[in-house]
Amino acid sequence: MKTTRSMVLVSSDPESLDRGALDVFSTLQKQITKFGLEEEIALSMITDISKHAMSPLVLVYPDAVIYGPVTTDDVPTIVEEHLYKGRVVQEKQISAYDLSGRVAWLSSRKGTMPAENRIVLKNVGQIDPENIDEYIINDGYEGLGTVLKEMTPGETIQVIKDSGLRGRGGAGFPTGLKWQFVSGAKGNKKFVICNADESEPGTFKDRLVLEGDPHAIIEAMSIGAYAVGADEGYVYIRGEYGLAISRMKKAIQQAREYNLLGENIFGTDFSFDIHIHTGAGAYICGEETALIESIEGNRGEPRPRPPYPTTAGLWQKPTLVNNVETLANIPAIIRNGAAWYKSIGTQSSPGTKVYTVLGNVNVTGLIEVPMGITLREVISIYAKGMKGSATFKLAQTGGSSGSIIPASLQDTPMDFDSYDKAGVSLGSGALLICNEDVCVVDLAKVLLNFFRFESCGKCNPCRIGNKRAYETLVNISEGVGTLQDLKDLKMMSDQLYELSNCGLGQTAGSPLKDILAHFRAEVEAHVKLKVCPAGICPMSGQRVYKIF
Amino acid sequence: MIKLTIDGNEIEVQEGTTVLEAAEAAGLYVPTLCHHPQLTPYGGCRLCMVEVEGARTLQPSCTLPATNGMVVKTNTQKVLDARKFVLTLIFSERNHFCMYCQVSDGDCELQNRAYDEGMTHWDLQPNWQPFEVDASHPFMVLDNNRCILCRRCVRACGELVGNYTLGFEERGADSMLVADYNVPLGESSCISCGTCVQICPTGAIIDRQSAYQGKETEVEHNIGVCVECSVGCQRDVLTRDNRLIRIEGVWEAPLNNGLLCDKGRFLPLEDDRPRLLTPLVRKDGNLKAATWDDAINAIAEGLGKGEGLAAIASTRLPIEDLALFKSVFADSLKAELVTTLEEGKATASLAKMAEKLGQSFESNLETLKDTDAVLSLALDLVDEHQVAGFFVKRQLTDGTNLIVADGKGNKLAEKASFKLDLEAGKEGSFLLKLHEAIESETGDEGFVKAAKLLKAAVKPVIVYGQDFAANADDKAVETLVGISESLNASLVGVKGNANSMAASQLGLESPIKTNGYKSAFIMLGDENPSQKLIKQLEDFPFVVALSAYGSQLTGNADVVLPVTMWAEQSGTYLNMDGRLQKAVQSLEAPEGVLTSRETLLKISEALEVETDADWKTRILSRTPTVQIKES
Repeated sequence: MKTTRSMVLVSSDPESLDRGALDVFSTLQKQITKFGLEEEIALSMITDISKHAMSPLVLVYPDAVIYGPVTTDDVPTIVEEHLYKGRVVQEKQISAYDLSGRVAWLSSRKGTMPAENRIVLKNVGQIDPENIDEYIINDGYEGLGTVLKEMTPGETIQVIKDSGLRGRGGAGFPTGLKWQFVSGAKGNKKFVICNADESEPGTFKDRLVLEGDPHAIIEAMSIGAYAVGADEGYVYIRGEYGLAISRMKKAIQQAREYNLLGENIFGTDFSFDIHIHTGAGAYICGEETALIESIEGNRGEPRPRPPYPTTAGLWQKPTLVNNVETLANIPAIIRNGAAWYKSIGTQSSPGTKVYTVLGNVNVTGLIEVPMGITLREVISIYAKGMKGSATFKLAQTGGSSGSIIPASLQDTPMDFDSYDKAGVSLGSGALLICNEDVCVVDLAKVLLNFFRFESCGKCNPCRIGNKRAYETLVNISEGVGTLQDLKDLKMMSDQLYELSNCGLGQTAGSPLKDILAHFRAEVEAHVKLKVCPAGICPMSGQRVYKIF
Repeated sequence: MIKLTIDGNEIEVQEGTTVLEAAEAAGLYVPTLCHHPQLTPYGGCRLCMVEVEGARTLQPSCTLPATNGMVVKTNTQKVLDARKFVLTLIFSERNHFCMYCQVSDGDCELQNRAYDEGMTHWDLQPNWQPFEVDASHPFMVLDNNRCILCRRCVRACGELVGNYTLGFEERGADSMLVADYNVPLGESSCISCGTCVQICPTGAIIDRQSAYQGKETEVEHNIGVCVECSVGCQRDVLTRDNRLIRIEGVWEAPLNNGLLCDKGRFLPLEDDRPRLLTPLVRKDGNLKAATWDDAINAIAEGLGKGEGLAAIASTRLPIEDLALFKSVFADSLKAELVTTLEEGKATASLAKMAEKLGQSFESNLETLKDTDAVLSLALDLVDEHQVAGFFVKRQLTDGTNLIVADGKGNKLAEKASFKLDLEAGKEGSFLLKLHEAIESETGDEGFVKAAKLLKAAVKPVIVYGQDFAANADDKAVETLVGISESLNASLVGVKGNANSMAASQLGLESPIKTNGYKSAFIMLGDENPSQKLIKQLEDFPFVVALSAYGSQLTGNADVVLPVTMWAEQSGTYLNMDGRLQKAVQSLEAPEGVLTSRETLLKISEALEVETDADWKTRILSRTPTVQIKES
């Protein structure tokens, strides 16, 4: 790749494309040619970085100037003033603050985020995801070349084990161990699946990786396939992720053209290819066994375990299922070694974690920070504090299947083990930060409504339990709850965990457990005093769900 | 072997056994709802949860494989609480108000489990959006309000029957049982085999005939072989006060494992043909009611010494009846024609081959249950011998290849990997071409493709029907045996009626010709006479009919004797793959109606002829096409 003076990026998320990002891009091309700058300025489309109202965005590096929303009419001015004459067009410029968007990569460039350490999002927003050369020039496919040429599958697994990488899908299972299980499973046919059915509400970290750095996933899956002895892979992408799907398709096509997928990769005996399978809008299909059922063409219902997918997965063959974020770590670990990876994060949870920060904070968006950072740091440093100087009340982690973290736990290091010890979970990486105006009963109601709707319906505790728990919460929020209801909620939460078949059911009751453990007084106020302290619940005194 | 401890009992089981199976083998009780021994464990109801030492949560015993050193507890307080919670949830989900349900008080597994746990009420309030009841099916009613979503019916429809009609729509609490893409059951791809009715643990799928008519505690069970075709399924005929209530498959039956088809389960209860209850004798041109004695005398007079006599029997009758029939008419009266209504069409050429070889060449039906390639010759297993068809259909999703060769419309062909054209009458040349393709991989593209598939298979099966056997000459059958030898394939021949094979062993295989007979003796039993037979009998001066039902044939006959139908008689049947099985009497015959056997004895007495009741030696005296097994 030739050296350029400046880099211009145009956002290409669905909203930007809707608002004419492609026209902006082609006008930019014309204008740059017009001023004869095509040798000096690199122009590419990049993935989602914008807030809806501000898109489409045009970014100019290395100045880190953001323009938005840009129309084709603005382009000549920007090119002439900024690119040709070197003067920032101030009336179109917006700041990272205005941009309640993806603060991570923006801020990192400005050096305001000291703890940022980018592994997963290294290339996201910096390279043209539709150009395999840009990925390759940024050390892409080097890891794959290394393992194929210089390492045995066993050594590859050992590196991943030594790195201490743990699954980022929510459960935190040691990745190397999983690879070892699949590698050791009997069978002449094995599969690798990338779980990109990112359906936790408020989580979009995987989408950014898929849209911004699809080749990293291809490379990681290939490394995994080589390590476990698979020759076929699936990327199960959420159906709503149109851009991610098309980027991934394009990337697979390019990789095939470069023989980075297909037969005899890097001239070795290793052959591997990847299919794309799109989801149809079911939350449960993010659960790995339901995902496998879905690929097989069945109704998306989790399977009983054991047998685990590592021994009998897709079409009853040993199958490696890894989350997008987990996979995105793999090429870097192979390139830089296990020791390097272990030096980041905490002892038990090395590496970084990508969080989607949402809620009543000043800056929302995606951040990639080392494991072990605290909630207080996230809120005060990355999210720039609570909105309107409000008080932090609680954080909801993990989309829906995480925990409700009270303010008292905001200094607990955010890693798998510390959170486990505190009785809460990290979830999939969403952080919904709430202030005092949020009612915990209402929050639990929203969460249970989600689970009630998304339960697959296979096993009784989850299918019926979530519905009954939701109805009980509605009654409490209408001011007709009883103390027996609180006992029932606790019981339902315990039994859901104890009896459910999969992670959805097992974690569905945790909001109930959490609000009763940390905010019992507030819940009891709804029941005993018929008052919602936050003033959110309707408290109509009318029973919505009546007894026969 | 695996050793584990359940409730303090050391238990040794085979590898692959589940904890539930291990517990049951040791005589321990673990309640279940979604589990069924014939189905793959599902783990949906969560009633069979047990405590396993070292496990994070309770574990479903139905899906949990037993492992060495496992320590399981099935009756701790935690387990009991969980059971009660699960039952509470199920009861609170939909319409589980027992008093109005047809299966209430004994027949409902949900209610029984609640009684087992000592439940008197449930604590959570029910709330659901009522579903419409689907009563569009002629035999069944589907009520989602009573459904506990255990998926037994869905799994049975797919795993056992291979029909995949039933499925689930929506998710979570809105999940509902639907047929196909939510069409009324009566308009769906349902084939009315009724397995779903039989396997439903609650009143969500009930059958119209028996609903609200007989609980388990009020009915009598009569287990015997089904007489509707030559497969020989075991079925249980439920009766109450000498009335047919319902027919069910026998889950423990080694062959059909509980499966039946519409012909075996529902249609016998729909039989509305007029019943004959008294002997009829033709006087002055009209059939008039007569006493048994008068009727027997009229027969003795009409048949005389048996010259010019054609005796024809139904292959739905027990072997005992057929053997006696042969003894009276062939051995004693030396009638000119002694045969069956089927005229041995489905068996004659095959039986000849067995005699020529001096040994059996056909295999058991079990081979159809575990095969990787099936070649079906002029046979539609969707239409007839359906249970054998289920064995094939349910394997098709597991990669079993099906090749259908037929010359006419064939519903099984819709599910086939591909189809070959087999014109009726050209069986011989068809088989020669196939044989050549197998030997040298040359010939028509279709034949080569079929040959390759069959050769690649580990356990190929060739199955053929009555039409094939009727049209195939000796040479064709010889080629067929040759093909099976070069492929190492099993041959399975479908035989027609329940006792066609027995009739063949008795040598009752002659074709019916109508020239110059003086009298006919037709032993119909409960079979419907064909129009062809009715036509043929018009030329006979004197016709005797033994029939359970009135028909055009009995209307034309000169003497008609009322006999029992299938449920009112017992006897032995020899099915298509050589199983000797008993049919049992489940109903008392109406007064004045005798079995065909008793009637024959009466007649032989009047004719003063010898009879020989030994049927077993007769059956075994001829080399059978498939080995005869006594159960």
